[in-house]
Amino acid sequence: MKLDFRTATMALSIVMGGALSASASDLAPPGGEVILTVTGAIGTTNSDGAARFDMDLLTSLPQHSFTTSTIWTEGTNTYSGVLLKDLLAAVGATGTTVNATALNDYQINFPVADVAADAPLVAYLVDGEPMSVRDKGPLWLIFPFDSNASYRTEETYARSIWQMDRLSLAE
Amino acid sequence: MTAGQISRQRWFRLGLYGLLVLVVGLVLALGQQVVDQLSALREEPLDNVNWNITQLELDLVRFQAEVDLAVALPGRDLTELRKRFDLFYSRGRLLARGSMLSRLDVSQSIGPITTQIAEFLDATAPLIDGPEEDLLPALPRLSDETRRMRIDLRVGLIKVVAEFAAMADERRASFGQVLIRLAAATLALVAVLAALLFSLVRVNRQAERRSAETQRVSSRLAATVGTSLDGVVVAGSDGRVIDFNAAAEGIFGYTRAEAIGSDMADLIIPKQHVKAHRAGMERIRAGGPKHVVDAGRIQITAVRKSREEFPVELSIAENTGPNGTIYIAYVRDISDRLAAERALTTARDEALAAEKAKTNFMAVVSHEMRTPLNGVMAALEIASRAPADARQSRFLGIARASAEQLLQHVNGVLDISKIEAGQLVINPEDVDLGVLVASICDTMRPVAAERGNTLHLHQLAPLPMVRGDAFRIRQVLESFLSNAIKFTSDGSVTVELEPQDETDTSLVAEIRVTDTGIGISEADLGRVFEEFVMLDPSYGREAGGTGLGLAIARRLTEAMGGTIGVESEAGEGSCFWIRLPMQKRAGSARTTRPEPAARVSAPTGAAEGLDVLVVEDNATNRIVLEELLRTLGHRVTLAVDGAEGVKRARAHRHDVILMDISMPVLDGIAATRLIREMGKSRHCRIIAVTAHTLPDELARFRAAGMDGCLTKPISSAELAAVLVMGQEDAAPVGTGADPDAEPPLIDPERTADLRSAIGEDGFARALARFAGDGPAKIAALQALAAAGPRDREATLALCHELAGAAGTLGTARLHARMAAAETALREGDMAAFSGAMEGLSDLWRDTTAAMAAAVTAPHV
Repeated sequence: MKLDFRTATMALSIVMGGALSASASDLAPPGGEVILTVTGAIGTTNSDGAARFDMDLLTSLPQHSFTTSTIWTEGTNTYSGVLLKDLLAAVGATGTTVNATALNDYQINFPVADVAADAPLVAYLVDGEPMSVRDKGPLWLIFPFDSNASYRTEETYARSIWQMDRLSLAE
Repeated sequence: MTAGQISRQRWFRLGLYGLLVLVVGLVLALGQQVVDQLSALREEPLDNVNWNITQLELDLVRFQAEVDLAVALPGRDLTELRKRFDLFYSRGRLLARGSMLSRLDVSQSIGPITTQIAEFLDATAPLIDGPEEDLLPALPRLSDETRRMRIDLRVGLIKVVAEFAAMADERRASFGQVLIRLAAATLALVAVLAALLFSLVRVNRQAERRSAETQRVSSRLAATVGTSLDGVVVAGSDGRVIDFNAAAEGIFGYTRAEAIGSDMADLIIPKQHVKAHRAGMERIRAGGPKHVVDAGRIQITAVRKSREEFPVELSIAENTGPNGTIYIAYVRDISDRLAAERALTTARDEALAAEKAKTNFMAVVSHEMRTPLNGVMAALEIASRAPADARQSRFLGIARASAEQLLQHVNGVLDISKIEAGQLVINPEDVDLGVLVASICDTMRPVAAERGNTLHLHQLAPLPMVRGDAFRIRQVLESFLSNAIKFTSDGSVTVELEPQDETDTSLVAEIRVTDTGIGISEADLGRVFEEFVMLDPSYGREAGGTGLGLAIARRLTEAMGGTIGVESEAGEGSCFWIRLPMQKRAGSARTTRPEPAARVSAPTGAAEGLDVLVVEDNATNRIVLEELLRTLGHRVTLAVDGAEGVKRARAHRHDVILMDISMPVLDGIAATRLIREMGKSRHCRIIAVTAHTLPDELARFRAAGMDGCLTKPISSAELAAVLVMGQEDAAPVGTGADPDAEPPLIDPERTADLRSAIGEDGFARALARFAGDGPAKIAALQALAAAGPRDREATLALCHELAGAAGTLGTARLHARMAAAETALREGDMAAFSGAMEGLSDLWRDTTAAMAAAVTAPHV
């Protein structure tokens, strides 16, 4: 099933709008090491016009996990983290394009509309363990490749960015 | 379109279907292959490999740059260096684990590199993770290792990229080939479909053509059946009507809708025939013989809707088609035709009855007229012999001429009416034409002399005995002669007799009568043989003819199978001739009568002084006969009826008895039989005197034992001739004039006469009775003959009866034999009787066999 992200977002806003707007200014400043910085067209920030997340802040968001194999790994692993849609909701994203950047400055773009209800996942645990930089950490934007053939495409492979540390939303 | 072609087309199409299945399968398989390969291409991150390989080198370069910076700038923060190492580590492990590359089957060329990377990472990681004081001194060495590593990596990676490119090419080529195969299969599919389409189009066209043809034929057939004037009823083998045309509707009264599907037995077959019809249908269904089907036209009774039965003419044909056997009946209502036939038959029967009534009337009238006329003429003849003065003589002459004319009228009309009624029967007998013609000439000679004419007879060649009707020949010739004499004064009349075209069995007798009279104009020549033609009224009056003589002559000649004609020139005289084809009598001797006139020229003189008994119930006729006979110089005894005649005949021997036929008490025939039985006159000659002149009656007279016949009215000349004949030739008239010659078993002309007179059925019945009674009678006769002359009368009666029957049927030899036996018995000549009885059984057997053959032969 192809989900329309905007429809889903609107539905979410209706249900959770009050809570989100109440917490927008409340997004706590990161206490620990910042592992993800979200900038651009977002409604909620916690430091210098950006939303910066440490591990605690990330784990305070709704958690999600799935098990899948990838073309870069052997066997199947269980990946856990925050769904991108939940993350975008948390920062009050209003842009239409997601721009993700890795530690080595690898960068990809895709439309917000392509963000589905079950993918991608901003994973920070593999099989319950944190991911080091040497092992695609600290964050890996990953899709459930095994559950849907439509994810096993070149484009999706390209969007599966590991060692991600920055997100930016463009109008 | 032959069956072979159809079959070939069907096989062609079946082949196409098979091919179609094959090609579709092929296309599906290839399509599946394409889908599979496509999805594989989509899923496999081939391009990602290139990216990762180049990134690996980039990561190494950036790590080396940080190492060089740390060497060049002591005290620099090493965090960035560590991060670069981690990123290279991450990418290097990815490659070293080979999950991606091993799948691409390029591990062979990348193997040494990954090993080298792994060794480098494993050696370097503790250093990077360790304390700075350990790391810093190692940096220069690390820089050198990294540089070397970078050179090796580049060389190795270039190899991998090349291999990978080659592999990608191969995969593309393979996919391309699948696509080409798919295209080829698709093309084949299109071709097969096109062929199939073509084939189907052709089949469709053929079907359309055939359908149109069938339509045309069936509509033509429907039109044919529909417009048939005969009713057409088509039924299946179950007897139910399949088709019923408009004519059948008209005939039977059912509409087509009513008729179709109904059982014929309920519809058009009369109740009394239904059972037979069903039995017949059952028999045919069971394969039995067909009595009505294909039997041509038959007549049968059918029934209409109104249950009225009527006759039909029917013809049934059979046809076996795909839906079983059907029967096609053509029916024609023949009620009208049969009614017309009945009406015609009735009309014909009525006409025949009327004709018969007319003929009977004519016969009665002739009889009733001729009897008194006979009296008148005889009385006049007698009166004219008495002395009379000139005035009386003149009146008597006028009266006699008038009476004769009247007689001619009566005879002429009677003859014509008989001929018209088809009653003219030619009765052939043995004839000596020379004698016959001579006697006619002798009779006419005195008449010729009255008008100063001389009559000559020339027989140009000798003539054998022939078969012919002497009476009719005489009638024709007398007509010619009386004409010639009437129209000639003081001249000559010549009769010529000439046999022509003679063969062993037949000849043509030509008789010409030539005169030197006034002749006939050319314009009239064609009409002389027509009825009631009088060429010149004045002559007609003078001659007193009825105009019927020549017309009768023509009809008689034609009836005898001859031709008649005349040649004439006005003022120069005429020549009338007849040509008669005649059969020779078997075994007859050629005769010539060089002087026939001399022998018959003086009848009156030679026959004087006979003792004549006249048996006659009519007083006038009795007196007339007596007078005539006395005048001729004979002695006369009279008897007023048959009984008295018999009495007188037995009491006294007479030379001749003149016997009237129609008499009360005992008629002439019975009286003759009695006279023949016994008494003094039983061998004398008995002459019938009658107005009846029919041939079968003559036979009856002869059978009764009479020797001749005189037809009333009687002239003295005829009477004299009969008496003379009796003196000259004592043999009975008409029975075996030539005793040496055996007559044939069957006289075909006699038989033919009888058959035409009484019809085929009557003849067959008569013959059957004759054949049935015969053996017993023959046996009885032989028994009587063996017993000797004790029971003479019974023997005589049997002989007489057999002779009569045999004569009537035309079994000539048996008739002759029995007549001879009878004669012999009468005359007491027992030797002759025994001779006649000899071989009688054989003769009987031959006769019946011949008759059986004759009766089956067609009547000619």
